[in-house]
Amino acid sequence: MGRTEDYYSLFDLPREFALELPELERRFRERSRQLHPDRFARAEPRERRLSLERATRLNDAHRALKDWRLRAAYLLKLAGQDVFGEGRTFADPEFLEEQLEWREALALARADGDAAALASIAARARLRLAALEAEVAALFEDPEWFSETVWEIARRLSRARYYDNIVSDAERG
Amino acid sequence: MARAIGIDLGTTNSLVAHVDPRNRPQVITVDEGRPLLPSAVHYAADGTVEVGASARRQAPQRPVDTVLSVKRFMGRGPGDIRAEDRGISSFDEGGAVVKLRVAGGTRSVTPIEVSAEILKVLKRRAAEAFGGPPGGCVITVPAYFDDAQRQATKDAGRLAGLEVLRLLNEPTAAALAYGLDKQVTGTFAVYDLGGGTFDVSILRLEGGVFEVLATGGDTHLGGDDFDRVVAARLLREGLTPPTATPSPAVLRGATAAAQRLREALSAEQVVEADVELPDGFRLAARLTRQELEALLLPVVERTSEPCRSALRDSGLARVDGVVLVGGATRTPLVRRHVQALFGQEPLSDLDPDTVVALGAAVQADALDQGGREDVLLLDVIPLSLGVEMMGGVVEKIILRNSTIPASATQQFTTYADGQTGMVIHVVQGERELARDGRSLARFTLKGIPPMPAGVARVEITYAVDADGILQVAAKELATGLEQTIQVKPTYGLGEDQIEAMLIESIEHAEADVTERFLREWRVEGDRILGSLESAFAVDAELLKATERAAIEQRLAGLKRAMAGDDYLAIKAWIESVDAATQAFAERRMDKHIKKAMAGHRVDEFAQAPRTTREGGDEE
Repeated sequence: MGRTEDYYSLFDLPREFALELPELERRFRERSRQLHPDRFARAEPRERRLSLERATRLNDAHRALKDWRLRAAYLLKLAGQDVFGEGRTFADPEFLEEQLEWREALALARADGDAAALASIAARARLRLAALEAEVAALFEDPEWFSETVWEIARRLSRARYYDNIVSDAERG
Repeated sequence: MARAIGIDLGTTNSLVAHVDPRNRPQVITVDEGRPLLPSAVHYAADGTVEVGASARRQAPQRPVDTVLSVKRFMGRGPGDIRAEDRGISSFDEGGAVVKLRVAGGTRSVTPIEVSAEILKVLKRRAAEAFGGPPGGCVITVPAYFDDAQRQATKDAGRLAGLEVLRLLNEPTAAALAYGLDKQVTGTFAVYDLGGGTFDVSILRLEGGVFEVLATGGDTHLGGDDFDRVVAARLLREGLTPPTATPSPAVLRGATAAAQRLREALSAEQVVEADVELPDGFRLAARLTRQELEALLLPVVERTSEPCRSALRDSGLARVDGVVLVGGATRTPLVRRHVQALFGQEPLSDLDPDTVVALGAAVQADALDQGGREDVLLLDVIPLSLGVEMMGGVVEKIILRNSTIPASATQQFTTYADGQTGMVIHVVQGERELARDGRSLARFTLKGIPPMPAGVARVEITYAVDADGILQVAAKELATGLEQTIQVKPTYGLGEDQIEAMLIESIEHAEADVTERFLREWRVEGDRILGSLESAFAVDAELLKATERAAIEQRLAGLKRAMAGDDYLAIKAWIESVDAATQAFAERRMDKHIKKAMAGHRVDEFAQAPRTTREGGDEE
């Protein structure tokens, strides 16, 4: 048991990008109740260790699945495409100009101490993230998804990282 | 049966609580008829140690020998001590560990030892209340405590002779006491401003699961800082004769006066003080609530950013309720501030001084009984854990606010041709550069076979347990060379030092120590015999006849050893039984949780899977 099973089967969920988050949360709570080290505080040391290992894996799985970016990367990895492994980065020339525009807008709003502008930047970046999520979901739906699709997904994940940074920088003010 | 206890080891006051036979958490009276034991330890020159209110009363006369707010030094190195904390105490300079010089300069004690003195008194009071020694205990820590501070707290518990079942985050403990009391569902912020630490945790409560979504805080912010700014003002304006360099005794006296004024101003609009201080000084002052609030405002405002960032990290736009914890939240200014911050009136119908201890007692009781079906706490790690890369940049391995227990693995490579060693510097915190973070440990993985740069692969696995304590394993993939360390040495005490202190603290001779170990190992042997007997009764079918016979043979050896008086023999037999029952324990565990792990059949256990720390996931 355990280490060879994929994260989805820990929750008895189909290995798909589309995921009902409330259902994931419900199953996470239910399985945590059974596995958590708190249930084994008075058990044999070995059982305590096993519970710790299994609860750790459950938490790691929950973390990897609940966030759509990590979930997409995990699915690619299961398909043998570890696109972010070993520090691989992407050349995304079309995106470069847009990146610079966002950074400039952010720097300007910061210099002016313009809270409304910062909030609007964060909101717009969030919209981009939502759009990227929808695109990634559609790409995973493609029945023929492979080589080309993998890179289409990976590029969007890489862009999502960028927007995540914009959101957190803008919200920190 | 020994009763489990929950301990709130606070900066200013400490408490102990238990769950009574009617299943209600109760605090135990510990000091001069009160449930609060002032966290003050006085070391007299004659070697006696006093703890509590009587020790605190000595503080103005014997400031150096009376240790207050020792929690601020837990898990810290000498270089971490802030000037405002140094002021009064005398330190043993040099060495990696903070040491306070006390008892008229004749003795050096570590913060762990000072905390253990407080814990010993709480343990003794609980024993008196129960008519026998308490069972396992849960000790609370600030949610924002880092690895070193947690480890130090756990060590203090061990040193006090307590069986520490779990470290529990203070806001989570408060939420537990609060949530169980009110049967609530929804999202909550716990704002916990204690004597010396500030924590904020955002939780979701649903179906008895208390899930911490995010936490933030400052382990150097609390009521002590209130007193310090007020004392500074009193000394500036009310001290006769005036002096720019007040002695430790005068400082202590002024701080005590500041605390009384501040507390009185929670109810009054204006108060006056006129106190005699040591060395012929006198302090006379009049303070209005408005003046007080102007002094406190900058301190209170330091809680805003941790609150905002925790809320951001939780992904919630707002929470359904806000709970106040900690004595400093009695201050009206703090309440108004929290209300403005979260846009709602905070809840405070439970006593902010005792709610953490009550929650700890509930958790201790639950753990002692093998967990409660109806309640589960899911906590998070407060600060990211990373490793220092070339150039001093931190690569984060486990991100803050990850639910614990948690683990993560990352691969690294060598940067020089023929490199045979790799220094692994474990760092905690959010900063980009290692030198700005908290250095937890540094060790070297040696024996990497010489290869061109970038060819050797070293896999580093971080694993954080349910107490929030980290273990790091490093493995060179080509050779399988592996090293695992429990991250503790930098500012903590080594395992051997703790053992030595434990033995030293048993005042009697060597024979007594041996006797005690023998008793403890016999108890342990009995526990194993009993638990295996019941395991055989339930799950005999999980064992092949040959396996069963091998186990029985070793059990016979264990029984023989337990009849003798050599504790080392008992210990060795216990280890042997442990080894023989390894596969059985795993099968039982899997059988009992198989419902939790979907799609799994019991018959797969014939292959007796071995669980390793190798961290090789599905890749």
